[in-house]
Amino acid sequence: MTPILDIKNLSKNFGGLKALQDISFRIDPGEIIGLIGPNGAGKTTLFNCVAGVEKPTQGQIIFSHKNSSISVGGKKPEKITSFGIARTFQNIRLFDNLTVLDNVKIGRHCRFKSTFFGAVARTRGQQVEEKAITESSQQYLEFVGLKGRGEEIASSMPYGDQRRLEIARALATEPQLLMLDEPAAGMNPMESRDLMVLIQRIREKGVTILLIEHDMKVVMGVCDRVVVINHGEWLTEGKPKDVQNDPKVIEAYLGSGAANAA
Amino acid sequence: MGKLNPQNLSRGDKIRIGLLILVLILPFFPFISDYMLHIIILIFLYMILALGLNIVPGFNGLLDLGYVGFYGIGAYTSGLLTFHFGLSYWVIIPLAFMNGAIWGILLGAPTLRLTGDYFAIVTFGFSELVVLFLTNEIWLTRGPLGLPGIAPPSIDLSLFGGPKWEFVGELPYYYLAIVMVLITVFVMHRIQDSRLGRAWFAIRDDETAAVSCGINLLNYKVIAFAISAAFGAVGGSFFARWVTFLSPDMFKFWESFLVLCMIVLGGMGNIWGVMIGAVVLVSLSEVLRELLPLLGLPVNVRFLAFGLIMVLMMRFRPAGLMPIPAVAAKMKAGQVKRKRGPATAELKTGLKK
Repeated sequence: MTPILDIKNLSKNFGGLKALQDISFRIDPGEIIGLIGPNGAGKTTLFNCVAGVEKPTQGQIIFSHKNSSISVGGKKPEKITSFGIARTFQNIRLFDNLTVLDNVKIGRHCRFKSTFFGAVARTRGQQVEEKAITESSQQYLEFVGLKGRGEEIASSMPYGDQRRLEIARALATEPQLLMLDEPAAGMNPMESRDLMVLIQRIREKGVTILLIEHDMKVVMGVCDRVVVINHGEWLTEGKPKDVQNDPKVIEAYLGSGAANAA
Repeated sequence: MGKLNPQNLSRGDKIRIGLLILVLILPFFPFISDYMLHIIILIFLYMILALGLNIVPGFNGLLDLGYVGFYGIGAYTSGLLTFHFGLSYWVIIPLAFMNGAIWGILLGAPTLRLTGDYFAIVTFGFSELVVLFLTNEIWLTRGPLGLPGIAPPSIDLSLFGGPKWEFVGELPYYYLAIVMVLITVFVMHRIQDSRLGRAWFAIRDDETAAVSCGINLLNYKVIAFAISAAFGAVGGSFFARWVTFLSPDMFKFWESFLVLCMIVLGGMGNIWGVMIGAVVLVSLSEVLRELLPLLGLPVNVRFLAFGLIMVLMMRFRPAGLMPIPAVAAKMKAGQVKRKRGPATAELKTGLKK
């Protein structure tokens, strides 16, 4: 099976700082992959490289979907979104002043194409399109459990709901690969349990998921495979249980003394 | 057409329709002089400009200090085409619109990569450049001598065997301006509820998130800048045929600032607020022009008054007179937070002790 995302020898330097060094791993379609590592390991940098926010210094990122492969490394982020890679952010980035529904509608942006003249003349095509945008946006809201709250202002919602909304917005771009950057951060145990269910349901829709997460319960609960990076380098990967007991991983998180003690 | 059924109209719609009817019959009230009509036309003109400018800071969150440049380009497009070729105003409107849009794209495409203040400085430089061009390229614009004797618009039906009306006095301009304002409001309304408008609002709220939704920042900013410039130019084209005289010093930086003030005062991003801003500032300017000499002050003191108003607005209504609902909510939340901030907290702990 061709992997949906194939990261080959990816490196990223910020001046003299080597944020990512020679990282390679693959994600198969339909998997839920956890990307873990101590703070500053380069997880978010890796996300940014895949999403096009950062340009990789070296290496390739190949995104394959429906028998076509695209090298996404160094492409513009809006292009990458239209290829079918969506993301959420570590610190929630919603369109705060807009309604919940509008936030999701903006996510639909890249799948439609009406412009200034369509908007002013309100042509038949534009009306049909606008209706489709609204209806599909409502469906995405319903999917994440925010049905009937479309008219609320995004920034006025509780934290957990904002996370859900951000996921709904990312799903609205119709991704094949969804990258979630610490979705459970700041959530209470109840909320993170709901989140795990949501992640599973997203996978059932056929979306592959790459997940950065510090909450080990979430990682152990949903991930098929875990990739560990430390100091910008690939450390190990494997089944969550195996990785959890790997002395190298324990050392990375807790220092060498802890590994010996264990 | 169930929409026109009076029972289906919301309160806001009723107010708007009422205002429109009032505005339409206003010139026939006995107390309305030609001078007052002139001022009201000026208000309409500034409404068009403010609505046009509003796209850039209000919808996209970019500071534009050079709007008068496009206003000037539109005015001279209109003036020169009339002066040299005697083109009808009805042909000139789309030409001015396009010329404004072209210059908007020419300026915007290379410079909209800049962010924040840097972009504002470029737009400011552009508007000064326009004034210098109009002043120095005497072969084209007659320079500081100005462009006198621009023919007023006319409605020519002679082609179809009908009569020909020339615009005489303020009244025809008054109705022409109303039509132009209505069209501008209509266009803005349609854009606001469209995919294009949402993309702009996304850019205004969070550029990084907008990009992650697949919005090409530069493209959408250039479109915004071009449309904004085009409306500025249309405003200018009207101005040229209305006052029938142009000179470069009509397009000084002050005009950009005034239009920007209208937007900030009225409520950035709110179509109705921006129009109210235009009403308030234009009428205030006229009142002060009459009042200040009576108090023995030079007329230019009114600029001080504008500055004072802006400072007071910042203190008491930072989101403008009619802010967009979301911004209003945010400002309110911020104020509540500030009121219940450290001061009250200290007070409470002090009481406990």
